[in-house]
Amino acid sequence: MADAWIDGSPAALRAAAIEAAKLLNASRLPLVAGLGTDVDGARAAIGLAAQLGGAIDHMHSRVLLRDLDVAREAGMMVITPNEAALRADTLLMVGPGLETAWPDLDARLIERPPAPEAADHLRRRIFRLCPGTKSRARHEEAVIGRAAKDLPAVLAALRARLAGRPCSKLHDARAIDRLAAALRAARFGVALWSAAELDVLTIEMLCGLVNDLNRATRFSGLPLTPGDHAAGVLEVCGWMTGFPVRTGFARGFPEHDPWRFEASRLVASGEADCALWISAYRAAAPDWDGNLPTIALTGADAKFRRRPPRVHIAVGRPGLDHDAVEHFVPTATLAWTPAKHKSQAISVAQAIGQIALALASDRASPC
Amino acid sequence: MLTCIKGGRVIDPANARDAVADVWMHGGRIVEAPPADVRADEIHDATGKIVMAGAIDIHSHIASDNVNRARLLLPELHRASAPNPAAAPLSNAPSSTFETGCLYASMGFTTVVEPAVAPDAALHAHLELADVPIIDKAILAVLGNDDFLLEALRREETPSLIGDYVAWTLEASRALGIKVINAGGAAAFKANVREFSLDDVVPTYGVSSRQIVKALQRAVDELGVPHPLHVHCNNLGLPGNAETALATIAAAEGLPLHLAHLQFYGYGNEGSRGFSSAAARLAEAVNGAKNLTVDVGQVMFGQTVTISSDVLRQFNARTQASPRKCLIFEAEGNGGGIVPYNYRPGNFHNAVQWAVGLELFLLITDPARVFFTTDHPNGAPFTTYPDILALLMNRDLRAEWMAKLPPEALQVTTLRSIAREYSLAEIATMTRAAPAKLLGLADRGHLGPGAVADVAVYSQASDRAKMFRAAALVFKDGELVVRDGKVTRYRWGRALWVRPEREPGIERRMKDYFGDRYGLPPDFMKAPDGAIQRTDPFELVPCHS
Repeated sequence: MADAWIDGSPAALRAAAIEAAKLLNASRLPLVAGLGTDVDGARAAIGLAAQLGGAIDHMHSRVLLRDLDVAREAGMMVITPNEAALRADTLLMVGPGLETAWPDLDARLIERPPAPEAADHLRRRIFRLCPGTKSRARHEEAVIGRAAKDLPAVLAALRARLAGRPCSKLHDARAIDRLAAALRAARFGVALWSAAELDVLTIEMLCGLVNDLNRATRFSGLPLTPGDHAAGVLEVCGWMTGFPVRTGFARGFPEHDPWRFEASRLVASGEADCALWISAYRAAAPDWDGNLPTIALTGADAKFRRRPPRVHIAVGRPGLDHDAVEHFVPTATLAWTPAKHKSQAISVAQAIGQIALALASDRASPC
Repeated sequence: MLTCIKGGRVIDPANARDAVADVWMHGGRIVEAPPADVRADEIHDATGKIVMAGAIDIHSHIASDNVNRARLLLPELHRASAPNPAAAPLSNAPSSTFETGCLYASMGFTTVVEPAVAPDAALHAHLELADVPIIDKAILAVLGNDDFLLEALRREETPSLIGDYVAWTLEASRALGIKVINAGGAAAFKANVREFSLDDVVPTYGVSSRQIVKALQRAVDELGVPHPLHVHCNNLGLPGNAETALATIAAAEGLPLHLAHLQFYGYGNEGSRGFSSAAARLAEAVNGAKNLTVDVGQVMFGQTVTISSDVLRQFNARTQASPRKCLIFEAEGNGGGIVPYNYRPGNFHNAVQWAVGLELFLLITDPARVFFTTDHPNGAPFTTYPDILALLMNRDLRAEWMAKLPPEALQVTTLRSIAREYSLAEIATMTRAAPAKLLGLADRGHLGPGAVADVAVYSQASDRAKMFRAAALVFKDGELVVRDGKVTRYRWGRALWVRPEREPGIERRMKDYFGDRYGLPPDFMKAPDGAIQRTDPFELVPCHS
């Protein structure tokens, strides 16, 4: 099977890298997007964007930046999934989509007993707020609210009642009061949410609630992160540039602007005139409809919308085809993942290395 | 290549040298002057200049998951600076790893220790450090709030088991030493304890902070780890906390111990505001305890961000956040907190803090036992180092600064009465010779034959801040990397670590422990060479036998 294509026709890796370098060299503002890659791929991709004066965005930035916006506007208290499992005698599961955001939720948190030093005594109490109409209720002691759209009102009422303020018009006021009492009685409570399903103000309200509860007892938050290694790429971008994703380098130094450097806007406006699309965890294609020349580093079976990308280099899946460093959900740190089935497929870092080599020689030659 | 730095004043206190001389380098090492008929391949004229070994920073929070949280929390603190596209990519990204390496190198620093890394975040820290150019670096692994240790103490396990565990942690996390941060305080905070001192007991475990510190101190000492246990005491920042520091000094009982950022423990509770300097008492205690080393954690005025694994202290400090936001993070062991803070010269407390740091520098008599830090960025960013060096070397400059501060703040300190000025030789001891000795780096911090050819050359100037801000020349491993304060060559450094001997049985024990407690193999704790993706990312430092 081929591992590289130019305009849909099989090509040698080197030829594809040379073609990619030509496109990037000719670009005024190259966009490095998708960024579904491991730590080393992210280091290479961000380094390349900086070198070219391009812009970077991750395919899940929208979700990633919701939690980050709350943190950097209002602050946040958070806990690792492992520590939550060991420590929490009370779980407050907020909004829909938790199992989707973290498929190991049951195995790594719900079904694991607290550590002996945390709870010699208690059965863990679980509450769900507005899980959505499709959710299944299993472990929950109590479900308060149902539809996701009711969540802001329920959270606001809960926070008001915890602060001792009246909240008379809510129809399930007694349930809210019972929950407020249960949260106050928690020894260590943890609130979980998925930013994929909540807006920024709701997350801020929830984090404010966690903060309030810490006046008297212990509570923390557990934001579930989106897929395609968004959390790990955010870390790499942080140390390399000082900023999160949606950062541009066109002026010779990094600038972060969640609106300006949003990939689909850069494409729609025509500001970006070439894209390097990276999706090594799934063979995902870009979701924009632009016409700009695209270099894709994805699995071999990616389905592109209109036509094949100008250059497509097949890359392996991190941790499966090749060794990788990845965000490790249980401890919320970066960890080494040896390849499960090492293959010949190259990594994103290696593919970018090939393109960078071709760029260097392309620039050295007179034109 | 044979390189000669010619005719400078060589200040090399480790080799008792302060004289005009040539320094020769070959193969990345300092070498003896060759016979007269041998010519250097490269000669750098240092006539009229000062030549020292590359400086070593023993305590600066430059790279870890906590440091990265601070970057992401505070985009407004690192607005983009002037563009410099000619430099290597990202080297002018504010607060980035790349800028960190360049700024340190331009001041003549060649080795920096990141002192607070949770063992399970060691790989993250090493990956960040791998992207810090030019300088070498190391991490200290944080223990003392971890369940394994507290449970071992509760069950009165043997010191050798604790030693094996410490050795296993150092090896897995590729660390140069062990730090303990508010021993037991983070574990107690999880059980809703809000104040925690040396003889307080962690709930459920029934183990006191003192027991934890002493167990770790003994383990580090008996393993032959060159760097003594690095201690961040309880009660950081609180009025009257000098008592905690004095009690910790007494608890060391003659064994080696390093107290970090002592300035933050230099407070009495006297005066009308119940906040005063206790630096003189602390300095006297340090002067009398030869087993003890300290670093200062000097405060300088301006906006900064505090990054600490003392999660209890950071939680309690959240009301003082400026701007008003903070991140409190809990994990296995310490966790941590990010609290932005603005030290204001007109603020009584901040002015006292500034004075306490300088008092400690000036009243501790042995420059080999007091280390030059701001606890970057907690007291001030490391970019303020040149200004602090100038303050230490010039009493008139101190008087100028004091004239601008609230007099009532200076009245509760002794700073006005101190005339001492540091000499260049004392600066070289404090920033070169002594840190190398403290960390067990026999081939650093001096310019004798065989030493790593890390050399800083400074142009003489009466404005010491200007002199130290931009080194005239800096060599790393014999290679010229900085000229006139500008990075001229980009290269990658190494991370220094120790691997003390241990019983092989600990491997099995850790596997069982992580399996039982987390349902995970312990591999996620490890930082293998292959994960770093640089040539020779690590350098092993020998332990004492």
